[in-house]
Amino acid sequence: MQRLPLCILCLFTTLSITPAIAADRDDEALDFWSLRPLTRPAVPKMTGDLAKRVRNPIDAFILARLQTHNLQPSPQADRRTLIRRLYFDLIGLPPTPPEVDTFINDKRPDAYARLVDRLLASPRYGERWARHWLDVVHYGDTHGYDKDKLRPNAWPYRDYVIRAFNEDKPYRRFVREQVAGDALWPNTRDGVVATGFIAAGPWDFIGHAEVPESKIDGKVARHTDRDDMVRTVMEAFTSTTVGCAQCHHHKFDPVSMEDYYSLQAVFAALDRADRPYEIDPQTAKERALFARDKQRFTEQLAAIDAEIKHLAGPELAKLDARIAAINKAQSGKGKERPEFGYHSGIERRPDVTKWVQVDLGKPTPIAHVVLVACNDNFNNIGPGFGFPVRFRVEASNDPAFKTGVTEIADKTASDYPNPKVVPQSFAVGGDVEARYVRVTATKLVNRLPNDYIFALAELLVMTPERVNTAAGKKVASLDSIEAPDRWRRSNLTDRYYYGVWNTLDVGELTKLTAQRDAITKRVLTPALKKKRDAASISLAAAEAALDKLPERGIVYAGVVHKGSGNFVGRAGKGPRPIHVLNRGQVTQPGATAHAGTIDIIPGVAPRFAVDPKAPEYERRIALANWLVRKDNPLTWRSIVNRVWLYHFGRSIVDSPNDFGQMGQRPTHPELLDWLAVEFRDGGQSIKDLHRLIVTSATYQQVSTGSPANERIDASNRFVWRMNRRKVEAEALRDTILYVASKLDTTMGGPGFRDFVLEKPQHSPHYKYEKHDPNDPKTHRRSVYRFIVRSQPQPFMDTLDCADPSQMVGKRNDTLTALQALALLNNKFVLRMSEHFAARLSAEHNTLPTQINAAFRIALSRPATTDERDALIGYAKTHGLANTCRLIFNLNEFAFVD
Amino acid sequence: MLSRRDLLWQTGGGLGGVALSAMLQDDARAAARNEPKPRAANAMPEWRHRTGVLHHPPRAKRVVQLFMGGACSHLDTFDYKPFLEKNHGKKSDFGEHVEAFQNGLGPWMKSPFKFRPYGQTGKMLSDVVAPLGDVVDDMAFIHNLVGKTGVHSQATYLQATGFQMPGFPGMGCWVSYALGSENDNLPTFVVLPDNRGFASNGPKNWHAAFLPADHQGTIIRPGAKNPIADLFPDKGGYVTRASDAAGQALLKRLNSKHAESRPGDGRLDARIRSYELAARMQLAAPEALDISKEPQHVMRLYGLDHGHVGSWPKEINPLEETHYMGRKCLVARRLLERGVRFVQVWSGNDNGFPRRNWDSHENIERDHGPLAIGMSTAIAGLIKDLKQRGMLDDTVILWTTEFGRMPSTQGSKGRDHNPFVFTNWLAGGGVKPGVTHGPSDEWGYKPADRSKPTTCYDIHATVLHLLGIDHERLTWRNNGIDRRLTDVHGHVISELIA
Repeated sequence: MQRLPLCILCLFTTLSITPAIAADRDDEALDFWSLRPLTRPAVPKMTGDLAKRVRNPIDAFILARLQTHNLQPSPQADRRTLIRRLYFDLIGLPPTPPEVDTFINDKRPDAYARLVDRLLASPRYGERWARHWLDVVHYGDTHGYDKDKLRPNAWPYRDYVIRAFNEDKPYRRFVREQVAGDALWPNTRDGVVATGFIAAGPWDFIGHAEVPESKIDGKVARHTDRDDMVRTVMEAFTSTTVGCAQCHHHKFDPVSMEDYYSLQAVFAALDRADRPYEIDPQTAKERALFARDKQRFTEQLAAIDAEIKHLAGPELAKLDARIAAINKAQSGKGKERPEFGYHSGIERRPDVTKWVQVDLGKPTPIAHVVLVACNDNFNNIGPGFGFPVRFRVEASNDPAFKTGVTEIADKTASDYPNPKVVPQSFAVGGDVEARYVRVTATKLVNRLPNDYIFALAELLVMTPERVNTAAGKKVASLDSIEAPDRWRRSNLTDRYYYGVWNTLDVGELTKLTAQRDAITKRVLTPALKKKRDAASISLAAAEAALDKLPERGIVYAGVVHKGSGNFVGRAGKGPRPIHVLNRGQVTQPGATAHAGTIDIIPGVAPRFAVDPKAPEYERRIALANWLVRKDNPLTWRSIVNRVWLYHFGRSIVDSPNDFGQMGQRPTHPELLDWLAVEFRDGGQSIKDLHRLIVTSATYQQVSTGSPANERIDASNRFVWRMNRRKVEAEALRDTILYVASKLDTTMGGPGFRDFVLEKPQHSPHYKYEKHDPNDPKTHRRSVYRFIVRSQPQPFMDTLDCADPSQMVGKRNDTLTALQALALLNNKFVLRMSEHFAARLSAEHNTLPTQINAAFRIALSRPATTDERDALIGYAKTHGLANTCRLIFNLNEFAFVD
Repeated sequence: MLSRRDLLWQTGGGLGGVALSAMLQDDARAAARNEPKPRAANAMPEWRHRTGVLHHPPRAKRVVQLFMGGACSHLDTFDYKPFLEKNHGKKSDFGEHVEAFQNGLGPWMKSPFKFRPYGQTGKMLSDVVAPLGDVVDDMAFIHNLVGKTGVHSQATYLQATGFQMPGFPGMGCWVSYALGSENDNLPTFVVLPDNRGFASNGPKNWHAAFLPADHQGTIIRPGAKNPIADLFPDKGGYVTRASDAAGQALLKRLNSKHAESRPGDGRLDARIRSYELAARMQLAAPEALDISKEPQHVMRLYGLDHGHVGSWPKEINPLEETHYMGRKCLVARRLLERGVRFVQVWSGNDNGFPRRNWDSHENIERDHGPLAIGMSTAIAGLIKDLKQRGMLDDTVILWTTEFGRMPSTQGSKGRDHNPFVFTNWLAGGGVKPGVTHGPSDEWGYKPADRSKPTTCYDIHATVLHLLGIDHERLTWRNNGIDRRLTDVHGHVISELIA
């Protein structure tokens, strides 16, 4: 019944004995192209005319193959073609007309190499190439599955990938950071943020947050979650599909079930959740220092409190026991109702002052004021939600609190511990009669990163007769989020709060608290008071210093989670025990799996030498180090093959996520190995690899056909010409924005949302049709788009953008009627056509010059006479915006030669 | 030189729509890759192109899949349980430990609806699906379906795509991929979502995933301003009928010139053709969706003769359910008539409050009642209408849901999830009429014979079989695995085949 998905017969590779006894297997078992040891092949020596065409070893390998197959290489493309090709390839945008002219007229012999260097140095380069990697790791900004909730802190990982490409991070480091950066480079931004990789894929909210791990459905959800982590690592870095081995190993399969579950054991402690990271190492140091101070002074204060208790003797102890008893008796009595309380407006910083007050109707004698915090599971906060970190309580007969203000409590000097849902009672000293009671928050509490609020469930104003005179009275506030039933001002005095206490208990508690205060005051000697004040001041200083430090960032990553409710995680409990599951069924656990990997490197044990009791990250470090071993035959072939794919539109092994038996064979195995060794033993610089590829004669060929060659190799497997490339969804959208002069090149940060979000509390609805394409916030590059898994953005989806539910090694490349409709009628295209027209009108005075400029901007060439005449005629009748719409629909705009 | 398309067109489409359109799509696809099909992987058998037949002679040409989002209770609709009537209110006892989704294991609960026999077969139906009584002899029930999970999202994926997780093509995508289009101006696979919103997983249920995008389900919203996304530009904008027509003509001329100077790249022609298809769709879709000219007797069939105008009550009610479901079913018929291969009709949206889907944890009578009346009225109309047009013979109808609901009470009036057994039914092309297959046990808790349950794989295999497709041979290689709709499972249920 609980069969798992993906129980697939995967005829995979050529191992003829089970890897369980792999230690004894013969070496022929690894005699498959992708598993053979990586050695540097000799570069073929070309002779005659062909030798003249060789610019670098890539050309020698390619030409040798062409010669074998009787194919002729194609001539070099002209400069106009080359610059457009290079721009789209390296930065995903077209060159501007002046950039085209400059390059065409650049007589220096190294003009092309200079252009390449300039593009690789552009920040636009990282944005373009990061998107390729995000396809592979199936990055998204929502969880996917049912109730496809937002994942607001995924983006730091996306920015990390962009940064990694722009900084040309050595690949070895790039791999290790993503698998175990938090352990290998703790307290560095990149080290922590990179592990967003582990959490990049979908996550089943219901299966984790609503179903506990003790239930079968809960176990299946967590198993599936680890499966995604395992498959992502192995497909992304080694182009190996291992998921099939969760149900059975095959006799030809190099991935045994033991191997598979040993990979699951690597991630056994992890869940997907938010974690903080330090943006800057200096701040990290300071934060640690001040945190130590805070700890020290807190301990000092605790010691002083203990001394006071000691001095006060059994009387205080008895009081404390009674207070604790009331708290205990009342806890857990809560019954959830939707009327949560009062909720202030949201601020970006904590140090904003907010107030809320009750109007008692007439001046009324007040003995105590009681504040009760809310309970809201938003962002897993729960009890204590919104309770201010610092605040004061005051009474007055002036609704503006300008005159005649009596202080009831002042908690603005240091942070007040969050009371959870335990009511906080403040006794009024002396006789106070007032009509208004106000609570002023001076330091707001964190709800989300960069999101601060003040909320209260109930405000009780107790008369000396212990009557709550605030009940049902009118509430005013500086601001309020009115979202009935959960949030509205009137909830503050509606007599309901989580774990409703009866007023008598509150009165009792208030009385006891007042007595406690009196005793404390009595026993406090001047020396003790001085000591306490000093510690308080130091503590406040440490807290203030902590406050002044820049915020820590938050990233959604693979973490050892410490949660509550059903989603508790493994903090403090060590990794989950992982078993080999019979037929992949969580109800049939077999032998315990030890952390490890697949058995493909001769002489290297597939299980890691990691103590099962060692910290969980030791397992990930071991896997990361195994991945980047020099003798790992897969890692280096995998990455150079991916880079080749994005340059040529077809890779040497045209199944980039699968180097197994079911995948494609390399068209140029020697070239692949040469590139892999060159890359591995060089600086592992992706930018160097780009330079090598794009400066080859092979890359600079024309993309036009040749009947003679087509008879032999119609699909151009042997690269006798360049492939004409269909512009991908992101590049097409970015180009439309760029051409229309609307592209905002701001980098990084939370993704822009080109939808209207509705019903975020339950199952969020992502309403793309309600979005205004003229909203400038959404004019950033497509790599910064907030990517929803369950409801793909229709325009991008239609144009074959990657599906964030799957690891996409190579995108589909289709031509459909719905694409035609999208490019003709989607309101984004319609609005951008208007902006393009406006730009042309602003820059040029006459129709002929406008049309010519339109071609130069959009297509990097002037219009022919025929084209110009035709479009002038069309524009005269139908206007320039219609003309620009037409240009956006040209085949030439959708393909790059 | 004549293109292959021109050739087919001029020879009178002698191969029939199937092969014709399939060829067009295949041409475009092959051209898009600019290469012949690679060995083995992802190539449809060549002889399909010649014969229009995939693996064996088909019994049906098209499919309507009716999907009840939120999980419709078999016990309150199609699977009559006298045991529950007798033991209503008594402590439930399943004879084993049950892990319920929300611990809805209260006393046994009989259906709040009465059951009565219908048709010659005397099949017992509850009052809220009584409209189907007229056509019950055409239906084939399967009462021993089992799922794998009580989690909505995963269960929806399983029924819709054959896998429990995202990333796999919907059933309609596979059918589109296998058989291609039967028309020249409408999408092959159309989805009619619930008017209130998407069910669990939203569009991922009909996403093409790794299959080419032209097999994706196209959402059509009958009654909406733009029933297909981007079918037309905004009204009142600068794009007029004249500017559009002249623009498309000029576009074609410029694109053809561009293609001529770049011979050998079939994608350039394929893209020109995609614009022609789009233009035809602009003409065909509004006509297909216009139900205003349907005669009164047809409107009556679908319950659309109610005469109600204006807004609907706030509470869920039978008339409103009938209106929306009836309109979807009528549009479905019109699309099928015009050669749409696969129509997926959804009843019920996401799992929010108040309930507007079949997830009746709180109150079966309140929520299942109106939904079932609307659903059964509309679907009975669809079956009768297809029948009177002679289309039922080659149209398969599949009614399905996420899972069933428990025979025990949740709260006092609701039912919890039951992934252990539920009901599907089939009707139409090649389906044996009037049969009931694989009973559930006396409570409707698990299959009567627990060793022989039916799975979604069997249902999918059976539907593909009726279409002339061998479910084991319909594959697409993705990341090293030859993927199938039926994973590594599935048996054609021969008892259900006429």
